[in-house]
Amino acid sequence: MLMISPRMAAGMQEKQYTPSLLNFFIYNPKFGPREGEEEKKILFYHPSEVEKNEKIRNVGLCEAIVQFTRTFCPSKPAKSLHTQKNRQFFYEPEENFWIVMVVRNPMIEKPNKEGKPPTIEYQEEEILDTVYGAVLQQCYSMYKLFNGTFGRAMEAGGVELLTQKLEKFFYRYLQTLHLHSCDLLDVFGGISFFPLDKMTYLKIQSFVNRVEESLRLIKYTAFLYNDQLIWSGLEQEDMRILYKYLTTSLFPRHSEPELAGRDSPLRPEVAGNLLHYGRFLTGPSNLKDPEAKFRFPRIFVNTGEGYEELHLIVYKAMSAAVCFMISASVELNREFCEQLDSLVGPQLTLLASDICEQYNINRRISGPDREPQFKFIYFNHMNLAEKSTIHMRKTASVSLTSVHPDLMKILGDINCDFARVDEDEEIIVKAMTDYWVVGKKSDQRELYVILNQKNANLIEVNEEVKRLCATQFNNIFFLD
Amino acid sequence: MEADVHNTNAPVENGSLAPVDRLRHERSDSPTPGLVEGTEPGAGQDSAMFVHAQSFEDLTADDGEQEQELSEEGTDGTLETQEQESGESRDGGGESGEAQDTQAEEEQEDEEAQSSGGRDKEEDVTSEAWRRHRKHVFVLSEAGKPIYSRYGTEEALSSTMGVMMALVSFVEAEKNVIRSIHAEDYKVVFLRKSPLVLVGVSRTRQSERELTRELLYIYYQIISLLTLTQLNHIFQHKQNYDLRRLLAGSEHLTDNLLRLLDRDPGLLLSAVTCLPLPSSSRDVISSSLQAAKAKSLVFSILLAGNRLVTLVRKKDQFLHHMDLHLLFNLVGSSSSFREGEGWTPICLPKFNTAGFFHAHISYLEPASDLCLILVSTDREDFFNLSDCKRRFLERLRRRSAYQALQEALRTPSYSVSQVGIAELRHFVYKSKSSGLYTSPEIPIPYQSEEEQERLMGLYQYLHSCMHHPTRPLRSIYRCGERENLLAWVTSGFELYLCFSPLGTKEQAMAAISKLLKWIRKEEDRLFILSPQTY
Repeated sequence: MLMISPRMAAGMQEKQYTPSLLNFFIYNPKFGPREGEEEKKILFYHPSEVEKNEKIRNVGLCEAIVQFTRTFCPSKPAKSLHTQKNRQFFYEPEENFWIVMVVRNPMIEKPNKEGKPPTIEYQEEEILDTVYGAVLQQCYSMYKLFNGTFGRAMEAGGVELLTQKLEKFFYRYLQTLHLHSCDLLDVFGGISFFPLDKMTYLKIQSFVNRVEESLRLIKYTAFLYNDQLIWSGLEQEDMRILYKYLTTSLFPRHSEPELAGRDSPLRPEVAGNLLHYGRFLTGPSNLKDPEAKFRFPRIFVNTGEGYEELHLIVYKAMSAAVCFMISASVELNREFCEQLDSLVGPQLTLLASDICEQYNINRRISGPDREPQFKFIYFNHMNLAEKSTIHMRKTASVSLTSVHPDLMKILGDINCDFARVDEDEEIIVKAMTDYWVVGKKSDQRELYVILNQKNANLIEVNEEVKRLCATQFNNIFFLD
Repeated sequence: MEADVHNTNAPVENGSLAPVDRLRHERSDSPTPGLVEGTEPGAGQDSAMFVHAQSFEDLTADDGEQEQELSEEGTDGTLETQEQESGESRDGGGESGEAQDTQAEEEQEDEEAQSSGGRDKEEDVTSEAWRRHRKHVFVLSEAGKPIYSRYGTEEALSSTMGVMMALVSFVEAEKNVIRSIHAEDYKVVFLRKSPLVLVGVSRTRQSERELTRELLYIYYQIISLLTLTQLNHIFQHKQNYDLRRLLAGSEHLTDNLLRLLDRDPGLLLSAVTCLPLPSSSRDVISSSLQAAKAKSLVFSILLAGNRLVTLVRKKDQFLHHMDLHLLFNLVGSSSSFREGEGWTPICLPKFNTAGFFHAHISYLEPASDLCLILVSTDREDFFNLSDCKRRFLERLRRRSAYQALQEALRTPSYSVSQVGIAELRHFVYKSKSSGLYTSPEIPIPYQSEEEQERLMGLYQYLHSCMHHPTRPLRSIYRCGERENLLAWVTSGFELYLCFSPLGTKEQAMAAISKLLKWIRKEEDRLFILSPQTY
């Protein structure tokens, strides 16, 4: 992304470039061990136009770096390479399969006197390894969710099938990476949970049980409201990546029609069924359509042990969305979908309005929507629960933050420090802009608070954070 | 030289990041009014002793500036400039070749003397023990030839070093520069200082920048033995020259410097600590040293162990911390200077990378810790400087300052309990304008070698957070299970405190003002407030 500095006069403009994706490739060093066969190692390369020899050279460098670091620790080779112009991230998700992401450092282009090419300054300290390392791992997890492991593809159809799958998936996926807006939340990869009273929670649980009872084909169910998770029967790691897909890709794609006016052509045919507001987000968009197709996306879960391939049905009524997962060996037809629609639709509509009511009551108690009193990020490693009052609502996959990027990077620095030792810690820093940043880590939980109280001292800042903990996290003990 | 730039002097001029850079220079709005630069405790009353490298940022910046100072002198002919024809003339008897010989011989003797605590080079470089070393350092030539390895023999590591050079050249071929490789619990840092390449492999928590700066120290250590002019000359003539032939016997200097970097806060802070001494005594010693001058004498330095007693310099000539640390290291790693008067050529690279100074190094008494270093520009000055030393000692004895000095030597440090702050275990305070720091002796929980390095590691961590190149901080408080830490940097000083884990934030806040008051009260004794010149 290019941003033009507003202070510069026209004609002598300084151009600021944010970090961007230079290369993304996947290779297996065992596939072309002989000289002259190096190209066979490369399973995927973005951008594909890159000349063959350059591809081979870049892969060669990665191999050399990984091999070199084994001199110092055979079991833990390199994870990243820093150079003046870019950073490269290495990830070996399956034995001998390496994924490499090359990100160009942010840079400033300064124009020179006539005739001379502009000077380029690379900002080498701006990219946080933890953030982009996590983004790279997420790429693999997302691939695996829809395609299964590399190993399975190799077994099923050899290199040819694997390269096809990689090409098909990453060609589109890489376009959705927004490298300039990645931050600490990508490191956590957490799940936002919907806060709910016990009664409503039990209602939802009994709803899930009833549906699973009636439709025996359903293996797993997940329940979300307003992009927040309420209930999930999946393993945590699988839910984490499914949640990411739902909230950053599937839901944003379907939110526009709902926002559109009643007569807008975008609005889907919900009429004809006045009993409920339920509709399929995956599979058939209109059950009444005689041409409707009953194909659902396939996902792969439990790839470590059971290795299950499932149909992913996402069904939504108002702000409530439910994912039903059914073994891929079963063929889904019109009959099943109609059954599901007539069973789930009315109940979910009712449930959604119940939750909505509850939600509004809660909001009235906690006061109207305004700038949150505290800017904070909370993450719990045990249940992946995350909460941020710093990030605005996400649009597509871009999230906006309400604080200066430098402060976000200080949060990232503190997080790196916490990750190094498995001890409870607290860090309070005062930035040059006089903002205070507080990081607390206690028993798998991390809390980061940004305070804009320029004249406060350490003790006052501490009191302020205590107040926050008392109101928001009264049952969590943080080291003082 | 390109590698030197390394992002340091690149002010960020864009809409979003600019304020940070600007603010870095405005530390004067610190919450302690009156403690601006030059008035903080420990600030010198007259001019400073050192080149104004107050901060870490200065040190890693390009060193072109300081070199100019001497280039004038160089043309006067007072400083000997390297004009050796061939670097291989060790046997041919070129003039500096001779100088090298004497030095090398001296050091070889040292090595024998130190063999008990010396290098264990015969390590198996494929063993787990070799891999587990906290910090490896490798120096190689641009042809990929090994020059130095901290652990293991260069021969055994020659293929590893070959790979290092290949990686450097490969990235350079793409018009790019390799900086570092990061793995789960270690980093590999590259520093390209043509005609040398330095590589560090570290399992410490130090930042990439801190490690690069340590490699820079090692680079200057090598320059101090050879001069950059000679080094360049050698490799221009013969690209795959084996530099170990010239550096033979000097490995222990590099070993020792690496040990200092792991333990001595002075190298981290770009500062020097002083022997606590009543200012009246120190003034007498300084003036005695000042009186014992000679025409070509540039610096007179009196050390007590690794503490500075006094430093007198030629007017308009400044010594850089890095150069002083290299002198400390030279004295600290060789026992031969105890035998008598030493005479050795030394290049002070921050002063001038092109030429040699000549240092007269001797202990005031064989068993004493007091070491006098007289730095001259004249190669033939040995007897003059020997005479300077004699005059200095005479004066010292006549004015009975020697007694006071001996007295002070018995308590070269102080305990933190003297400051009287509850839960305070240790601290480091640096006065930025004088470039001097003070710190109590290492307290009990940190006395083992391992714990001492861990404490130092904590300070290194605080230092790198405070001096982050794009996100510097005003203060940091870190509370952990083993200790609580506080760091505070203003325009006048840098302060790093280590409290017991029982210490509270209230105590920490109160400790700052109490400690600053105490240092102010003791500054006469802990710092050199009135540096002298000839």
